[in-house]
Amino acid sequence: MAADNLPSEFDVVILGTGLTESVIAAACSRVGQRTLHLDRRNYYAGNWASFTFNGLLSWIEEYKQEAPETAGEEGWKDKLEEGEEALPLSSVDSSISNLEVFSYASEEAEEEEERKAPLTTKAETEDTTDGPAEEPNVVTPDAETPTEERGQDSESPQPNEGGTSEPGQSEEEEKQQQPMSCLPEPPVEVKKKITYAKLLKDGRRFNIDLVSKLMYSRGSLVDLLIKSNVSRYAEFKNITRILTYRDGKVEQVPCSRADVFGSKQLTVVEKRMLMKFLTFCLDYKQHPEEFQDFTQKPFWEFLQTKKLTESLQHFVLHSIAMVSLDTPTEEGLRATQHFLRCLGRYGNTPFLFPLYGLGEIPQCFCRMCAVFGGIYCLRHSVQCLVLDKESGKCKAVIDTHGQRISCSHFVVEDGYIRDEQRKSTDYRQISRAVLITDKSVLQSDSDQQISLVTVPPLDSSAPAVRMVELCSSSMTCMPGTYLVHLTCSSSGSARHDLAPVVSRMFHVPASPGEEPTEGEDRPTLLWAMYFNMRDTSGLDSSSYHLPSNVHVCTGPDSSLGNDYSIKLAEAVFCKLLPDEEFCPPAPNPEDIIYDGEAPQGEGAGFEENSSPEGATEGSETHQAPEEAGEKTDSVPQENEAQNGEDGQTTTPEE
Amino acid sequence: MAGGSVSECKEYLFKVLVIGELGVGKTSIIKRYVHQLFSQHYRATIGVDFALKVINWDSKTLVRLQLWDIAGQERFGNMTRVYYKEAVGAFVVFDVTRGSTFEAVSKWKHDLDSKVKLANGSPIPAVLLANKCDQKKDGSSNASQMDNFCKETGFLGWFETSAKENINVDEAARFLVENILLNDKGLPYEESNGDRIKLDQETVPAESKSGCC
Repeated sequence: MAADNLPSEFDVVILGTGLTESVIAAACSRVGQRTLHLDRRNYYAGNWASFTFNGLLSWIEEYKQEAPETAGEEGWKDKLEEGEEALPLSSVDSSISNLEVFSYASEEAEEEEERKAPLTTKAETEDTTDGPAEEPNVVTPDAETPTEERGQDSESPQPNEGGTSEPGQSEEEEKQQQPMSCLPEPPVEVKKKITYAKLLKDGRRFNIDLVSKLMYSRGSLVDLLIKSNVSRYAEFKNITRILTYRDGKVEQVPCSRADVFGSKQLTVVEKRMLMKFLTFCLDYKQHPEEFQDFTQKPFWEFLQTKKLTESLQHFVLHSIAMVSLDTPTEEGLRATQHFLRCLGRYGNTPFLFPLYGLGEIPQCFCRMCAVFGGIYCLRHSVQCLVLDKESGKCKAVIDTHGQRISCSHFVVEDGYIRDEQRKSTDYRQISRAVLITDKSVLQSDSDQQISLVTVPPLDSSAPAVRMVELCSSSMTCMPGTYLVHLTCSSSGSARHDLAPVVSRMFHVPASPGEEPTEGEDRPTLLWAMYFNMRDTSGLDSSSYHLPSNVHVCTGPDSSLGNDYSIKLAEAVFCKLLPDEEFCPPAPNPEDIIYDGEAPQGEGAGFEENSSPEGATEGSETHQAPEEAGEKTDSVPQENEAQNGEDGQTTTPEE
Repeated sequence: MAGGSVSECKEYLFKVLVIGELGVGKTSIIKRYVHQLFSQHYRATIGVDFALKVINWDSKTLVRLQLWDIAGQERFGNMTRVYYKEAVGAFVVFDVTRGSTFEAVSKWKHDLDSKVKLANGSPIPAVLLANKCDQKKDGSSNASQMDNFCKETGFLGWFETSAKENINVDEAARFLVENILLNDKGLPYEESNGDRIKLDQETVPAESKSGCC
């Protein structure tokens, strides 16, 4: 919290806290590199961030108010030395475009118009943004408490007083108050309307991701989390079911053995055909004769020869392989195999989702980086790089406070790069929609389902859309609502690409709070947001004019998994530190030997150090590395990381 | 965090945060409490996430206390959500010999309250520790002023502690755990956590490894 100055020398400076940058930061710090990790935003994870509802409204406001690029050269001129030149970075982020917001929730109990609401929240939060915020705006506790109480009295049957039960204590209770339950006899108008005011009031219950991805249970991200022990910082839920939209209906896709045999929609013959086909896909490489005639042809054509019924072909193509009509056969087989191999590791679908949202994952890596000595500053950027004219390399950076910080490597998110440094601006776009709805697209016994919904192109020119529907126990939305993410590769603006799917699958009220007509069983929209995000995943180092020790992190990409970003992080790390291991396991807290824990360390020599500021030198000499070194591999790292760091009892710049 | 019952013994796992300015003795307090050790020579806390203290609270209750230290270099105050999430209690530490660290206390408390809440929306119980009281100069603080300060800032109470002389560290911890247990009377965990997945189940610390009180 103290705003002391940063050290002026690091091994690696990393700008941007998205997934790729954060993994690189953790990896560098873990092997003892002195790492400085910065982000110009006041929250972690950049375009990978998750926001509370109120936080998202602030983010939207910021987007609207984005300032134009400033050319403040004065700031760094005097920091340059002979033989150096500056390479400015961009001060604005243009990766988000076509942002549109629609509110459909009733405005009852809130006199203000919907349009005013974001402003209200903004004002409310301004006083808290002062603190170090990664949730940019948290509704102040005082503002929240009274409304909370009122809400509980009037709206829910929660036993709130004393006794053994606290409000919101168990999911069971949360379930009780979920208004969308499809029980035949709802007790006296249990279905409470969720108003816009309620969304704001319970805004902290939301964790709304800008990027919507799932984790393949045998994908690179899961492997890395386990290998590095970063997994200790997160918990996950299984995706409970895979759905698809077909002939105007949402259907469940049977994908595991249990699903196939348990399926009521499949005939016995279909079950047998599907099992036979999936079993073949699991080790398709052992049976090249089965597909060799189709290596030049689309997977779709291959499927049609496999005696699968039309609905099975649909399931395999769109929901299991998740490929398009023109994807080549081998690629389709590989995708199917990957899907099948991921089944059963943690559950009945191949996918995991992190509790509290995907934005949690970059922060887990940041915590690991910090635990190993990495320094974090948000709302802190780099104005320019300092290049050595002779070697062309980046030898330092000048931060937004005008401080010169030397480094051997600089890692930066694509969004900080100016157009002048780009050889190619040939990036794609991702279309995104975020919806808050009042019930699931496919209601079932449990209202706590996490679903992946594949929506094939509605017509030949439309994109295939991927939809993830999250329930409240994923800790991403308030009880009684669902958070729905839609994603596709853009062909136009996000709204153009996705609104047709939204209006097919959801009831879109004509005016805020309008009741759906009798017999409407689709979920009703409470709130919707559309935006495009730049997809730079097609770029590589040849796309930029940058020094060889400056490494650009591109992405996020539009695919469902995270392999792209993790592989990129590992590739960058290998360029930085070819001889070091990438994210070796961090020791368990219990295995760590503290300095001075050896008997001679205790109590020895502290009397001399009456001033707490004086302790550092002592701590360096009192180490007993040979003892410490045996038990855990963490200790040598600590020693290295310690160079240039200071004891906890000292202030950094003395 | 997860709680469960093993042969009539109720078992709790509580995540407790230890926050405060640089050099106020957060790590010393944790080490004194968990490992019964004190050394002048902790440096910025590197490689350490949290320390685990197992408390036989009473014949029917076992409490595992996870004390989360600020990673030394999160000192600019930009804590990740990973640090705060699902914490059920906190110590905010200042150094009685350095007034500036006391001035930062309300900032830390404010930040804490904005980042983490109990399931019912109220702030998590927090206890203020006036550390290094063995080095206190006479009359530097006054008990009724501190009481008032706690009331205003929303602390349950405060303790003068010394990690070095082992003063009040256990007492403060006991006081906080008592309050956490009061709140806990059935926190969400048992049922709702049933289908939560930890990726690497085998890294769950084995019983025998943890130091016992």
